[in-house]
Amino acid sequence: MRIVIGEGSCGIAAGAQKVYDALAPLLENTGARLGITGCIGMCFLEPIVDIYEKGLLLKRLVRVTPDDAAAIADAVKSDDLSPLDRLAITDEDKSFLDRQTRIALRHCGVIDPEDLNAYLDVDGYKALDKVLHTMSQDDVIAEIKTSGLAGRGGAGFPTWFKWNAAKNAAGDEKYLICNADEGDPGAFMDRAVIESDPHLLIEGMLIAAYAIGAKEAFVYVRAEYPLAIVRLQKAIADATAKGYLGDNILGTDFCCRLRIKAGAGAFVCGEETALIESLEGSRGMPRLKPPFPAEKGYENKPSNINNVETFANVSWIILNGGEAFAAMGTETSKGTKVFALTGKIKRGGLVEIPMGLTLRDVIFNIGGGIRENKRFKAVQLGGPSGGCIPEALLDTVIDYKALSATGAIMGSGGMVVMDETTCMVNMARFFLDFTTKESCGKCVHCRIGTKRMYEILTRITEGEGRPGDIELLEELCDAIRSGALCGLGQTAPNPVLTTIKYFRDEYEAHINEKRCPAGECAALRTYTINKDACRGCTLCAKKCPVGAITGAVKEPHAIDADKCIKCGQCKTVCRFGAVEVR
Amino acid sequence: MSDMIRFKINEKEIACEKGTSILDAAKANGIEIPNLCYLKDLSPYGACGMCLVEAANSPKLLRACSAKAADGMEIFTDSERVVKARRVALELLMSDHSGDCVGPCKLNCPAHTDCQKYLAQIAEKDYEGAVATIKDKVPLPASIGRVCPHPCETACRRRHVEEPISIAYLKAFAADKVLASGNHVLGEQSAPTGKTVGIVGGGPAGLTAAYQLALKGHKVTVYDKMPKMGGMLRYGIPEYRLPKAVLDQEIAEIASLGVELINGCALGKNITLADIREKHDAVLIANGAWKSASIRCPGEELEGVFGGIDFLREIALGGKPAIGKKTAIVGGGNTAMDACRSAVRLGAEEVSVVYRRTRAEMPAEDIEIKEAEEEGVLFRFLTNPAEIIGEDGRVKAVKLQVMRLGEPDDRGRRAPVPVEGEFITLELDSIIIAAGQKNDPAGFEDLPTTKWGTIVADEHNFRTELEGVFAAGDATNKGASIAIAAIAEANEAARHIDAYLAGIELPYHEPVVSEKELSPEMFDREKAPRAVMPQRPAEERRNDFTEINYGFSEEQAVAEAKRCLSCGCHDYGECKLIQYADAYCIDCKRLKGEHHPGFRETRLVSIERDQGKCILCGLCVRVCEDQAKKGILGLVGRGFHTVVKPEFHDAAVIAACKDCHLCADNCPTGALKII
Repeated sequence: MRIVIGEGSCGIAAGAQKVYDALAPLLENTGARLGITGCIGMCFLEPIVDIYEKGLLLKRLVRVTPDDAAAIADAVKSDDLSPLDRLAITDEDKSFLDRQTRIALRHCGVIDPEDLNAYLDVDGYKALDKVLHTMSQDDVIAEIKTSGLAGRGGAGFPTWFKWNAAKNAAGDEKYLICNADEGDPGAFMDRAVIESDPHLLIEGMLIAAYAIGAKEAFVYVRAEYPLAIVRLQKAIADATAKGYLGDNILGTDFCCRLRIKAGAGAFVCGEETALIESLEGSRGMPRLKPPFPAEKGYENKPSNINNVETFANVSWIILNGGEAFAAMGTETSKGTKVFALTGKIKRGGLVEIPMGLTLRDVIFNIGGGIRENKRFKAVQLGGPSGGCIPEALLDTVIDYKALSATGAIMGSGGMVVMDETTCMVNMARFFLDFTTKESCGKCVHCRIGTKRMYEILTRITEGEGRPGDIELLEELCDAIRSGALCGLGQTAPNPVLTTIKYFRDEYEAHINEKRCPAGECAALRTYTINKDACRGCTLCAKKCPVGAITGAVKEPHAIDADKCIKCGQCKTVCRFGAVEVR
Repeated sequence: MSDMIRFKINEKEIACEKGTSILDAAKANGIEIPNLCYLKDLSPYGACGMCLVEAANSPKLLRACSAKAADGMEIFTDSERVVKARRVALELLMSDHSGDCVGPCKLNCPAHTDCQKYLAQIAEKDYEGAVATIKDKVPLPASIGRVCPHPCETACRRRHVEEPISIAYLKAFAADKVLASGNHVLGEQSAPTGKTVGIVGGGPAGLTAAYQLALKGHKVTVYDKMPKMGGMLRYGIPEYRLPKAVLDQEIAEIASLGVELINGCALGKNITLADIREKHDAVLIANGAWKSASIRCPGEELEGVFGGIDFLREIALGGKPAIGKKTAIVGGGNTAMDACRSAVRLGAEEVSVVYRRTRAEMPAEDIEIKEAEEEGVLFRFLTNPAEIIGEDGRVKAVKLQVMRLGEPDDRGRRAPVPVEGEFITLELDSIIIAAGQKNDPAGFEDLPTTKWGTIVADEHNFRTELEGVFAAGDATNKGASIAIAAIAEANEAARHIDAYLAGIELPYHEPVVSEKELSPEMFDREKAPRAVMPQRPAEERRNDFTEINYGFSEEQAVAEAKRCLSCGCHDYGECKLIQYADAYCIDCKRLKGEHHPGFRETRLVSIERDQGKCILCGLCVRVCEDQAKKGILGLVGRGFHTVVKPEFHDAAVIAACKDCHLCADNCPTGALKII
């Protein structure tokens, strides 16, 4: 028997390592092997323990704690797993994975990311072998072209085109760069791939390096991903030792070195030209385009940059053929896409689905809908560069074009679900706060423009909005979109534009009626006590930090609105639901 | 020639070499595309967003600094969309720009005299330079320096440290110095134009316009009804404040420019407006406001009742008005002070000032009130004449209504309210009503007047209804004000007359300037008290009309001038940012929000950086790196709070700065200053 614990960063954060440490001594001399795997993708069920026999998953245990270790060890020893049924995943939760189509994530949560042999066991490096021994550079590019693979970092630019441009660019010295500076709030697709299947990334990159003629490759990974860096380092060392990396790879003339560059945490370094600046050791600030990196990139040499997920699809395409990949998806968007489903969703985690499913499929069918049976309000796609999509557009298909038409973007895969308690103005404010802080400071529109937008949004949420603020926001959005230097600035207005487009009434309620329809903006909330429901228990009055609540024992209490700081303590402690918020 | 590109900018055919940026191609063809972060020898940077241009059939605006010209392109550099984008870029920049283009002294001076500049010149003992600076706006500096109620000092920020700079007296000091030297500092005079201008009125406005127009090469004639030139400076301000010998010297300097001065020539009496129009290509009416206003009090017709300015004029003309031993002056303004102190000097034994509010509300200068008190003037606050009582047709007493202060009015001044039934009677030989001036429209029947009897003139170009006739100063619109206001109008009127004579109409627009928000740390300075004007003792000076002030010593003046905080930007005039802001008529405060704290970065030995004025164009960083080959500067921090600093706080790096000043030379704003 093999016991495998999901140890991605998220699993570890949920206590997977503690479960491992508790189980390890108990399983000694039982014949059962204890191992790890990467991210299984079901954040809502972590920590997860899988029990395999002869490669077959016998049981998947979820939300396991170290206290369950003894029971697991006993069951393993006695060969009777039925006592563990209380920990077993439900059929409904299982559907979260069953309804996905996994290509980029195909080994995630299945193999041991720290073991090269585990990767080789699942046909690892076979695509590289095929490419190096049977295909020309043009053959590879043609196969990718057939597949229709487009950049998964968000922009959706055809991958083959970039590879071809880099291949055709003049010069012998060319560079391949993997953008693993995943910075969107709520996005963790790339981290999961690197932590769970680092060799898949390396293999994809080697095929790309071969195709464009690069002998040097970099993975630019954010420093906030220490586990990803450690696992990638080990993978590079192992692959180099076994001849998959370095000189004369697999006995051919193809040589390629791969290095890791840890980014220092600037969001803008996810922008390709800023990433190159950072890679060169300069301050991460975007360059003017053209020239594009394919012409003048790293050290002014032709360079190609792709995102982690893009590379993660490459070996599958080589092994299964571009046509098989292109068979999935829509007219304009081929293959699958990975999303990090988060927010007010019942089942959050990593979701890989073929293009062409609808947002409703992902959120309700796979994600199980909204937590606590609240009402769905909107979903934010593409992080700070993206936009929100309201309920009326839930049947939009996942496709670059269709999503852009809504004002949102496909983005790198962040999918944040919001319910009726989310204030859309405050949500836009959150993203503008992010961009204001993450702007590199170079261009006026982004540096100052987003700051001004943030200030206007802040005053609206604080009840200080003025008539004309919506129009002023729209004017600034327009100016920043056309005036900002790079993608970060140009797309920064999107969360504001889409919330105004779909939730203008919420903005108006804040400005004109000084009311937050979602009840999220504290400055606009009023707390009152329902006299009929209040039993006069005095608990709220005792808890109120500013003494705003008065009333005699067993008499209805009242809140002094002038003193109330809207902290919500009274509502939290009231056992009779007497505190009402408006 | 296959490497040549042909395209259009603003529908003009342009040819350039392949690889040329739109901005460079435009520049080579005389089309300026605005930019703040571009420098020809550096690679394009694209930060400022000013060079955005529109290309036909392109949904996106292009950055002209980096976008290369391509065959068949059609570029528009000033389309509505482009202008709007640039305006927003400028408004964003200005919303985070913390600095004063000009000091509050200059802004608050109606004539916008460059006080900061002449104070610096005085501090350097460059008195001729200082006078030249002043005369650019005020051709009578020794006179105005003595009498001006100095709005500049009211605005002076030094008051937040301890007291404002004594700007007006410093002006007089510099002018006196130069007059005493026998040198004459006059503006540069252009060649004669052959045009002539007739000016009605030889007061501060008329003389200022005469000076400015004479410098422009026009032949100017000033017509004045009084025996001598100077207007209210001569006939409204007592000798003890402004010795007429000083005024005479300054008028003589103006006359030396070839200005013809005709006195004793009253309009409507000795000459008509039509005559003057006939004789000259343009006319300026600046005849002032010469009638004393009435207080509509019974008994005003009695003998022994004087109008304030009439009283002062009589003295100036050498007369000795019969005011007797006891007199009262009604009013709380500067004319009332001039009148009461003149009355003391005429030998009156009891001089009272009757004012219906309290001392705090008096419009007169505080120093004047203080000096009047020293000279023995009595103040009867919260009283107002109800009736002037006569005997045999002559003033015998005044019945004063006792007042109290009521609720503040719109301007915050508390209105006086009569206390029912409470009166005081004051025995008097005479009473002087100094309650303001009125206009006399006699002689201007051809011109429309306001309900106050003033001439209607355009507020911006000073034209009247009559072709070629302009009007300025106390005679127009809102009527009497202070001399410097009349001078300010005269300067502007002269500019418009000069343009009129050249057949041009000058457009009007309020110049856009940046003003700093005040913060306490700006005034955290070592205290240095304001210079005290040396003065004759009160008991001596009250006996005669000799000037009461001795004037500053040089030592005093230089020290006083050095107290200036130099609020205005050293780069105003060169600053590209404000030039664009002005050209695009932007509203600096429309997008107001949080701004950089504006601290001064002084770690480099010879360069001081005002972070509040830095627009992060990166030019200093890039010239230091690419041209000076030093790379001392870098951008620090992220997002809105990004700043430029010498890198790594490393003394060795800072020591590498070799005073090449390339950074400051290329800074488009006043953020960098060579020290």
